[in-house]
Amino acid sequence: MKIAVAYKWAADPSEASVSPDGQVDFSRAKPKISEYDAVAIAMGRALADAAGAELVGISAGGSAAATPLALKAALSRGLDSAVVVQSPDLESAGTFQTAQALAAAVRHLGDVTLVVCGDSSIDAGAQMVPAVLGGLLGWPALTDVGAAQLAAADNRLTAERSIAEGIQTLVATLPIVISAAAGALAAPAPGMKDILAAAKKPSQVLSPADLSLELAAAAPVTAQVKVSGPARRCVQIDTTDPATAAAELLAALAAAGTPIGGRS
Amino acid sequence: MPFHLTDEQELVRTSVREFADAEIAPLAATLDREHRPPLESIPKLADMGILGMTIPEQYGGSVSDYLSFIVALEEISRACASTGVMVEVHASLVSTSILHFGTEEQRQKYLPDMAAGKKIGAFCLTEPGAGSDAGALASTATKEDGHYVINGQKIFITNGSFAEVFIVMARTSDQPGTRGISAFLVDRGTPGMQIGEPEVKMGIRGSSTTPILFDQVRIPESALLGEEGHGFKIAMKGLDGGRTGIAAQALGIAQGAFDQARVYAMERVQFGQPIAKLQAIQWMIADMSVDLEAGRALVYQAADLEDRGQPFADAAAKAKLFCGPMATRVTHAAMQVFGGIGYTDAYPVERMYRDARITEIYEGTNEIQRLVIARSLLR
Ligand SMILES: Cc1cc2nc3c(=O)[nH]c(=O)nc-3n(C[C@H](O)[C@H](O)[C@H](O)COP(=O)(O)OP(=O)(O)OC[C@H]3O[C@@H](n4cnc5c(N)ncnc54)[C@H](O)[C@@H]3O)c2cc1C
Repeated sequence: MKIAVAYKWAADPSEASVSPDGQVDFSRAKPKISEYDAVAIAMGRALADAAGAELVGISAGGSAAATPLALKAALSRGLDSAVVVQSPDLESAGTFQTAQALAAAVRHLGDVTLVVCGDSSIDAGAQMVPAVLGGLLGWPALTDVGAAQLAAADNRLTAERSIAEGIQTLVATLPIVISAAAGALAAPAPGMKDILAAAKKPSQVLSPADLSLELAAAAPVTAQVKVSGPARRCVQIDTTDPATAAAELLAALAAAGTPIGGRS
Repeated sequence: MPFHLTDEQELVRTSVREFADAEIAPLAATLDREHRPPLESIPKLADMGILGMTIPEQYGGSVSDYLSFIVALEEISRACASTGVMVEVHASLVSTSILHFGTEEQRQKYLPDMAAGKKIGAFCLTEPGAGSDAGALASTATKEDGHYVINGQKIFITNGSFAEVFIVMARTSDQPGTRGISAFLVDRGTPGMQIGEPEVKMGIRGSSTTPILFDQVRIPESALLGEEGHGFKIAMKGLDGGRTGIAAQALGIAQGAFDQARVYAMERVQFGQPIAKLQAIQWMIADMSVDLEAGRALVYQAADLEDRGQPFADAAAKAKLFCGPMATRVTHAAMQVFGGIGYTDAYPVERMYRDARITEIYEGTNEIQRLVIARSLLR
């Protein structure tokens, strides 16, 4: 049995700069495994260890995603092996092409019962890949999973999601695609031994042709028209009593139309 | 010589930075304020494999090349210089000396526990009358019925208050100068060993620096490290590699201050614009960055020479001689970029400014590095 973790070798926006006209310049941002994907790998690792499964990283991207550095960076986080679908067409692929490549990788691996994705990619951040991947595979997709348990013998996955009303527990049949909620669990930095071990782990770089995959034509459906920063306002709360301060803060937030009380 | 880190060395950097940002940096101000060593970080540093980076796998370590260790040390020091020097003395001076000069029995006895963080190392060379002139040390180790008995006083011992294994240099013969000196492995708690109160210091206040008195300390003959009379050579060999380590510590401190100053310069607005738009500030940032790159080249070169088995003592002295004053310059400039708030403890540059200064003094002062370099050139 295999568990796959989808990850992206993506530029770190904290190293990008934004020009006054709102253009984001990623040219000096180094690619990395994002904190979201690190959480997905950690969740996958825990599930694979509990189930005695093999944990395989899957990724789609251009040439950078298939460099030994990118592979070792992913493998050092606890994957057993990795498969990267590489093509110039995937360099700046949209959600659909990415999901196509990942679905092909899952089919290529065979015997995959669970795909774990990160909460979102760190650069594009659309949060769409898990759902589209599920659609392409014909599997259900469950996003924002805070904790998961696998009962492989019963063909079931139990997932917890944090919603406004509390913790929601869901039971789903395998196979399934899930995405790990941001910060669902601690994903420690790879240790020195993990880094050394990464070089010895197997990995495969495949082209879409190797997978008999025809990538859909890039179809940009959105265009960036304008970026404008939110208007900043300053409300001063002038009290030393914490309860009063909290009440005034809530009132100020409510007056500003900020949703309060869990996610919206 | 252009320098390219290998994939593994790059990953060591990103991984140790991620670790240090999460686990080491948040403690730095508290350790400094409370003058206490980062004991809670020791198990984490061991789990990361950082304490074992100079120890081979067969002894439970996670040995890497020396350059990887240097990169790790730079990143730890960028977050907290006190934690940096604790690791440096432990991994670079002490474990390496045991590995190179220890018997198989000594390696088995200490290295696995040192990699696991169960034993931290300390290196006892300096005495009240022997600092730069370490060969003038006066502590003695006399042989008595199958034992050595150590008497003498050591000062300024890093990790002194909590280390478990001490490499101690003492005289085993009346031969003057360096030839009569031997090295010993002494366990914490050996009767007669008195560890004094930690010094109150300007910087690296999270590093414990203590005097240690040896009063009739009896240790078995098997505690001799290397051959009798070779102690000074062992100490100097340790310090050669150690100098690259301290240079890396200085580099990390300077990089930490630079990173803070660069961000602050872009955010702080005066005269209606970020101060980064002022040429005066731009020049400081540019100069700091040149200093950092030059220092990094020297440090990595020294580590790389060591990795390739080539003579590196001279390169290590050059790296330390450049990076110590460089860290002082860069942290000084970083504080200038911050203005008044930089002089308060609201930002870490104030601590970094104090931490940087020691790198010009310990493991050989600037002047001693010049001596080493000149000697190698004027033979
Ligand atoms: C925080 C801290 C931690 C330390 N940790 C350790 C440790 O773990 N183990 C250990 O053994 N020691 C340690 N030391 C000691 C440190 O290595 C010495 O302080 C250092 O080598 C200088 O010796 P000194 O203090 O006796 O200065 P001195 O040797 O007295 O030097 C005073 C001045 O004279 C100059 N000078 C001396 N000789 C010459 C010369 N020949 N030519 C030109 N100038 C010269 C020096 O450069 C300096 O400017 C530590 C010191 C400190 C402050």
